Amino acid sequence: MVIVQRKELTLAERLYLPEIFRGLSITFRKFFEKPITRQYPEEPLPTDEVTRGQPRLVVKDDGNIACVSCGMCEIACPAYAITIDGGETDRQIEREPKRFEIDMLRCILCGFCEEACPKDAIFMSNELELADYTRRGLIYDMEKLKRPKSALQPRIDYVYKINKRWRRTQA
Amino acid sequence: MEVPLPLIWLVKIVVIFGGLVSTAALMSLAERKVSAWMQYRIGPNRVGPFGLLQPLADGVKFIFKEELIPAGANKFMFRLAPALSAAPAMLTMAVIPIGGTVVLGEYSIPLSIADVDIGVLFLLAFSGLSIYGVILGGWASNSKYSLLGGLRASAQMISYELTLILTILAVVALEGTLNLRTISENQQHVGEWNIWTQPLAFVLFTITMFAETNRHPFDFAECEPELVGGFHTEYSAMRFALYFLGEYCAMTVLSCLNATLFLGGPSVPFWPEAPWFVGIAAFCLKAGFFLFLFLWVRWSLPRMRFDQLMRLGWKVFLPLALANLLITGGFIAFGAH
Ligand code: SF4
Ligand code: SF4
Repeated sequence: MVIVQRKELTLAERLYLPEIFRGLSITFRKFFEKPITRQYPEEPLPTDEVTRGQPRLVVKDDGNIACVSCGMCEIACPAYAITIDGGETDRQIEREPKRFEIDMLRCILCGFCEEACPKDAIFMSNELELADYTRRGLIYDMEKLKRPKSALQPRIDYVYKINKRWRRTQA
Repeated sequence: MEVPLPLIWLVKIVVIFGGLVSTAALMSLAERKVSAWMQYRIGPNRVGPFGLLQPLADGVKFIFKEELIPAGANKFMFRLAPALSAAPAMLTMAVIPIGGTVVLGEYSIPLSIADVDIGVLFLLAFSGLSIYGVILGGWASNSKYSLLGGLRASAQMISYELTLILTILAVVALEGTLNLRTISENQQHVGEWNIWTQPLAFVLFTITMFAETNRHPFDFAECEPELVGGFHTEYSAMRFALYFLGEYCAMTVLSCLNATLFLGGPSVPFWPEAPWFVGIAAFCLKAGFFLFLFLWVRWSLPRMRFDQLMRLGWKVFLPLALANLLITGGFIAFGAH
């Protein structure tokens, strides 16, 4: 058992008024300090490659998307957010998605798709804003998901860095 | 140039009443701005320059909101209560002299709506009425939180009203009049301000002011954590806003009263012959300081406990105010003043 010795209050403290003035002076000093508010829509949040934003499809430098519609991300996705319809292509990889949709309302932004993809075709971009007027509008199709590789490059490098134990080469 | 007298009255009423209501509206903005600045925030800044039009936007929102009346409520009382709370607070402004006398040509216009000989009495009587709005609103809502809030408010306002009246009485005894205009005119020079002769009354009055208007740290009527808002829990839309308007008006009036009683009203320090508009500016500054004090204290001090409030009111403030009155009376009786 611990007996806490209560501090005897001095007369000034019991009068309460001096303490009130002390409190008031503190708040008054804070009055003139610079606000730390971020005016959000005008001053967006800073992001960098560590930011795990929203999943986006990589468009390679030759203009084709890197995805081969293998469906690994679809399986890895814990939220069943990804829907892929595979199709054929004349390119050497032979397969590409005919339909690739991510329901951003279901997506929990976990990044599992990024880890699952064997072709470096899907990465988490640094986009954070996610709003629309309809539910339909938040089911992103391929056109909305495509991002040039250069835009995703910092994230790609970062993923290689943190996973370098088992990832050797860069596609 | 022949201006009929009623027209002058009308202009005075419109200007003073409009000033009071717009001060109350601005206070609702200032409340948020001051709290923001004290917490390193910016506060409302989207509507108009520096958010100055925020009260307008709020007003529009309040008017267009759906009004809900609880099923078990006493409908008549429920509708009446907010008006009962706001109207007395606005009425009391009528006797406050916001400036000296303006001389325009052959007219000399005293700058208060009503220049009554029992100004102090009128003010106290009407500000005492506003408690009915609070307790009726709490009772008519037919909700336990509202009822408790109303009860607390009435207990608190009645106990603090005593101290308030006793402190004012000391000033009245000293000045020998109940006319607020005379009281403020008697304090033309800074050395004549009643704060020097009645410092204890000034401190007591300033603290009691907070309790009378149910403001922090004495806002037990609307204690959010325990009473979910207290007497106005069930109110919505414009009636809810009316309670706030009443509260801000009461704050403004009491600030003006404090400035009139203790800080010489419109008198400018070291410039007794100041023109009337400087006097008004001085008056606004003094009242504005007390209004700022309301906000300043609100964002600095935590709320007290209800028993502490009652103990403070009955065991500390009341004896102090009585003693102050007694000593003042003694000085007056034995001619030492
Ligand atoms: S981030 Fe997670 S939830 Fe979203 S699509 Fe990828 S795997 Fe599915
Ligand atoms: S795992 Fe990669 S390659 Fe396979 S379907 Fe998903 S994005 Fe395309």
